[in-house]
Amino acid sequence: MRYLQRRLVHGMILLVGVSIFCFLLSDLAPGSFFDEMKLNPQISSDTIAALQSQYGLDRPLPVRYFRWVKSVLRGEFGYSFAYNSSVRSLLLLRSRNTIFLTALATVFAWLIAVPLGVWAAGQPGRWLDRICMGGTSLLLSLPELVLVFAFLYLVIRTHALPVGGMESTGFEQMDSCAKLWDLGSHLVIPVATLALASLPLLMRHVRASMVETLNSRFIQSARAHGIGRTRLLFRHALPAAANPLISLFGLSVGGLLSGSLLVEAILGWPGLGPLLLESSMSRDLYVVVGIVMASTLFMILGNLLADLLLVCADPRMRVT
Amino acid sequence: MSSDMTGTRKMITGAVLLASLHFVILLAGFVAPNDPATQNRELPFVPPSRLHFVDARGHVHLRPFIYRWAPHAGSFNEYDESRDREYPIHFLVAGTQYRIAGWVPARIHLFGVEEPARAFLLGTDNFGRDQFSRILFGGQISVAAGILATLISLGLGTLVGCISGLYGKWIDEVAMRFAELFLVLPWIYLLFAVRSFLPLHMSPTQTFFLLITVIGTIGWARPARLVRGIVLGARNQNYVKASRGFGASDLHLMRHHILPLSYGALLTQAALLVPQYILAEVTLSFFGLGVSEPNPSWGSLLAILQQYNVLVSYWWMFAPAVALVVVSFGYLSIANAFHERLQSVSI
Amino acid sequence: MGTEATARAPKTALVRIAALSKRYSQAGGLMGKRFVVDALRGADLDIAPGCLTALVGGSGSGKSTLAKCVAMLEKADSGEIWFEGNTIWPGTSKQLSRLRPKIQMVFQDSASALNPRLSAAQIVAEPLEIQNLGKRSQLRERACELMTEVGLSPDWADRRPLEFSGGQRQRLAIARAIALKPALLILDESLSGLDLSTQAQILNLLLDLQAAHSLTYLLISHDLTLVGQVADFIAVMHQGKIVETGNRQQVLGSPQHAHSKELAASVRVVEEAYRTARVGIER
Repeated sequence: MRYLQRRLVHGMILLVGVSIFCFLLSDLAPGSFFDEMKLNPQISSDTIAALQSQYGLDRPLPVRYFRWVKSVLRGEFGYSFAYNSSVRSLLLLRSRNTIFLTALATVFAWLIAVPLGVWAAGQPGRWLDRICMGGTSLLLSLPELVLVFAFLYLVIRTHALPVGGMESTGFEQMDSCAKLWDLGSHLVIPVATLALASLPLLMRHVRASMVETLNSRFIQSARAHGIGRTRLLFRHALPAAANPLISLFGLSVGGLLSGSLLVEAILGWPGLGPLLLESSMSRDLYVVVGIVMASTLFMILGNLLADLLLVCADPRMRVT
Repeated sequence: MSSDMTGTRKMITGAVLLASLHFVILLAGFVAPNDPATQNRELPFVPPSRLHFVDARGHVHLRPFIYRWAPHAGSFNEYDESRDREYPIHFLVAGTQYRIAGWVPARIHLFGVEEPARAFLLGTDNFGRDQFSRILFGGQISVAAGILATLISLGLGTLVGCISGLYGKWIDEVAMRFAELFLVLPWIYLLFAVRSFLPLHMSPTQTFFLLITVIGTIGWARPARLVRGIVLGARNQNYVKASRGFGASDLHLMRHHILPLSYGALLTQAALLVPQYILAEVTLSFFGLGVSEPNPSWGSLLAILQQYNVLVSYWWMFAPAVALVVVSFGYLSIANAFHERLQSVSI
Repeated sequence: MGTEATARAPKTALVRIAALSKRYSQAGGLMGKRFVVDALRGADLDIAPGCLTALVGGSGSGKSTLAKCVAMLEKADSGEIWFEGNTIWPGTSKQLSRLRPKIQMVFQDSASALNPRLSAAQIVAEPLEIQNLGKRSQLRERACELMTEVGLSPDWADRRPLEFSGGQRQRLAIARAIALKPALLILDESLSGLDLSTQAQILNLLLDLQAAHSLTYLLISHDLTLVGQVADFIAVMHQGKIVETGNRQQVLGSPQHAHSKELAASVRVVEEAYRTARVGIER
């Protein structure tokens, strides 16, 4: 329990550090949201100045930071100039979509990687192992960018699935079953891309961890007892090999978020990625800060979850 | 023993492949038959020129030749080969001027065809610009960005790691907390956020250097932790202590005893980081936050694929992606090879 | 216990150690427990010039820590160390760096004490290089001279440490240690881990060098039979303190402290067994 508390406090400190970091950076940045407006001769500089003071942009940095902190404590997380609403509502909606996507992709990636990795480790050097290693080498060199376009090509050619977006027109009028189907068909490309992108590294780690565990003595004695191959692999070796994988899970959150940015942007999936792009292009400062904070939070939570899982899974961890 | 041989062979083949790719990209001006910025507005989205050896009359030519592309009457973006005249490919021809390494002017190209035909080995884009040339020149920018950014990351990381590991205590604490800050953020989000905080409209040279600085600086944390670990381990070696006993300065210890231990790990890191950073530059340029038009970068070349009709109809526009994959594959192979060699070498 | 013995040592000691204390503490893991070891608890020692003083004791008695403090590789928490009448601890780094060449150390494990990537000549010449005592070519020549002096052929100057045997590596370490013409050479278990005949050879070398360069040795060892044959003075350490000092006959023949008695008793039993195995040592 104390460990959990300590980690949470640590996470909070990190978040505060990140927020300060962002604000410092933003201060370095020339230009602001209203630069576009400045270019428009019809809007007088007085109007712009008034707008800036309304949003508090003319105040010095520490003042701006404290105003933002107050806004965070109120639950609003700042204000979006472009969307004319509190950052929080934007973040909630977009985060939900991104988390949904990345969670699904994680599940699929693990569902494929773990059995494959375990099987490959079970017969090192044989054809399955070779195919897996070669396949992962290839997949590792295929960035999400390429994967997305490859999928899009297939889908457009075959008209099999909708291309992009989250919902088809007329979504609201569909009944639940059709809604689910529609959502699912929109999910196929992004989930497949993200899953394939995170698959190779995962599979390699599973395999490596399994190979190490399979060489240990308790497995060899189990094998001597005549335990069947499948049972040996999945019920004896895998739980023992799980530790580094659980840690990997925590670390993979960051990679997935990074990958999802691109996929969401190209496919028009309304997640945090496209929002970051938009707001960074238009210098919607508080939205950018909010997104960075949100993604940091997810990373921290991911690591924390991984650590908790580790404690649950490995009884040795509880002693310390 | 045999696995060691294949490992070395793989490493060498990977290294040779990469080296030749880099060489070709370096000599982009020489290898490319056309200027990457020249537009041929009347020939948008031309498919790759087909090489023929047998002409319409059935004669076999030793030298391959191409036909000119002529727009198909009455349709849009469709072309036929006009078979009235063959244009053989000549090697080592004089063509448009370019600069070797951006400095020395030259006119000679590896191959080319007579005017008014053009050799479009990989077709053209919507402005009629030769894709093959654009990919080569774009490679210069993307690959150079990757390599330079890697050097910055490793340099910064090594510096911080050395200081942190050697002097310890509060410097170490502060540095590692700072590193944690950088590592806790999803990398691409940080990249885009930082990029967005910086001026969006600058000259291409400025943008390029800004890009590599940003990409490189963001990635200092992992190499720093790596080097710090090595330094901490090396500090306790008896030969380092003995050296101190002779009055060796910290700089001497670093140079002669501690840093040489890290070369292997740093090399592997480099092989892993370069493709990652190339991808970072490509992603940024893809979204228009990188090197801007008309300078080609693999990212901006691929941006046009977002128009679905281009994606489906003009397959040659995919070529920069293939180049990216090949380069990534090359680097990852040698990274693998380095990693295996490092593991087998015991200190 | 200590005062009587000190009176028998020559008045002008090369090194004087007074009330040296050192504590190692390590911050614990998740639960924050601290791990504390008092390696030295007020140790006093005099080292006479030109002699071989042996520091003996069980493992964990603090011998190595004391040696490292004298060699200025560790900083004590309290106490004082004098060398040739000058205070070296507590001292500033400037003072320390001036005196460093005078006190050198030879470690137990020669393999880890020599950088495996450098050649023998580079290793031996390193102290000269650090102290800027000449150009590359001169240093190499000097390194070869030193190697010859310790009984290694200068033809091996370009070999790596791992190409030498354990005994030869120790010779290399000794060559490096005498490069700066030190006054005090600390041998931290330098003869452990060598087979008996090699031990004897190295010991003979050390004694020759001592005569040639008027060196003072501080030998840290847990091997009492060895110590009994070469030491002029013996200091017994137990739990971070020096519990007895004196010359060879006194400490081994008529030990006063309980711990010394135990040690001396174990020597007599083993000595008989080893006597036949040793190649004769000049003394």
